[in-house]
Amino acid sequence: MIPPLILLLCIAGIVCNLGFSGLAVQPDWSLALLLASVLAHRGNWIWALPGVFVHDLALQWSVWMCVPFMALAPALMALIDFQAGPGLPQRFFVLLMTTIPLLFWGWGFGAWLLTILLCMAIWYFMARHHVWA
Amino acid sequence: MPLPRWRTNRSWLWVGLLLVLLLYIAAPLPIGQRLTLGLAPLIDALHAPAKWWQQTSLWFQSRGDLQQRLAEAESSDQKQAALVDELRILREENRQLRRLLSLDAIATTAWHGAKVIGHSPDKQSIRIMLRIDGARSDDIVASRDGLVGLVDSADRRHAVVRTILDASIAVPVTLPGTTLAALARGEGDHLIIDFIPAKQAPASGTVMVTSGSGGLFPAGIPVARVSAVEHLEGQIFVRVTAEPVAHWQRDSWLAVATTGDRAP
Repeated sequence: MIPPLILLLCIAGIVCNLGFSGLAVQPDWSLALLLASVLAHRGNWIWALPGVFVHDLALQWSVWMCVPFMALAPALMALIDFQAGPGLPQRFFVLLMTTIPLLFWGWGFGAWLLTILLCMAIWYFMARHHVWA
Repeated sequence: MPLPRWRTNRSWLWVGLLLVLLLYIAAPLPIGQRLTLGLAPLIDALHAPAKWWQQTSLWFQSRGDLQQRLAEAESSDQKQAALVDELRILREENRQLRRLLSLDAIATTAWHGAKVIGHSPDKQSIRIMLRIDGARSDDIVASRDGLVGLVDSADRRHAVVRTILDASIAVPVTLPGTTLAALARGEGDHLIIDFIPAKQAPASGTVMVTSGSGGLFPAGIPVARVSAVEHLEGQIFVRVTAEPVAHWQRDSWLAVATTGDRAP
């Protein structure tokens, strides 16, 4: 139930980004949602990665913005979790690694910062939901 | 300590290879443009509440205000009607002169208004979405200040525009009243003007216009305002950096030019 809901919200996020980007600074809604779902549970990459694929294509007409980093993210988290034990630092590293391309693709610093903050908030709620589930 | 399942399982390798293959196949295809066009009706729907609010708010305005706005609209309408009549006469004259000179084959340009419904989320809004009927690829888009870009793809109701800041567009430009033939190309957040000889280097603040060469852009549309000129030792051409004359980030309406007899 959760993945289709998140993917639907991602489409709404992409539409908001396209429809209101001229009016106000806003976060990358869909990337924040998808990244948070991977950070909350790395097994979510299986449906989050196609979501990021659509995100990159719709917003930048390219597949080289976040897809490569998002593809690396679960493998990197699994590797570091195995080497150093599960923890937050590697997840924060993945969060930065996946969102920094926004700056190189012309997004403003404010939008990038809002994306990180939104992602952390959603990550927190999704991790709690995952623990409860 | 046993290795985790992801390190022993070869399926990761295949998934990775499949992903790289998919990215290489998808990269050159115009999927993004199609996706953006497909999302345009949703963006229209997103704007609907704002439109409803605008219409509903009229109920709460005083009668005097509404009457004044109506009078202003009627006055503006009359002025525009006079201009439209004049334009129609000029077009007819032009058509007759072309017929006399046997110049019917020359393509004419007709401008139409288009509502901006969305921008790409980067700071410069490199791509724009328009609501316009019947636009086609390579139609020219301009604001009241200058050239904005080209229609990249369109369906019956919407069009997606690549602005001149996009690296894939190069516009032939010149300085008004000279024979200079230069090329303005997008660099993401500014423009670079290529092929300006050192002897003809423009001053900072000079506005460059379309030269009309190549046939895609009509001549005389303002394109770029020169912001910096750098003389490079041993080079024939100077390095000129410029800003677009048009500021499309806040415009709600743009003009789309169609060539020939097509009318959106």
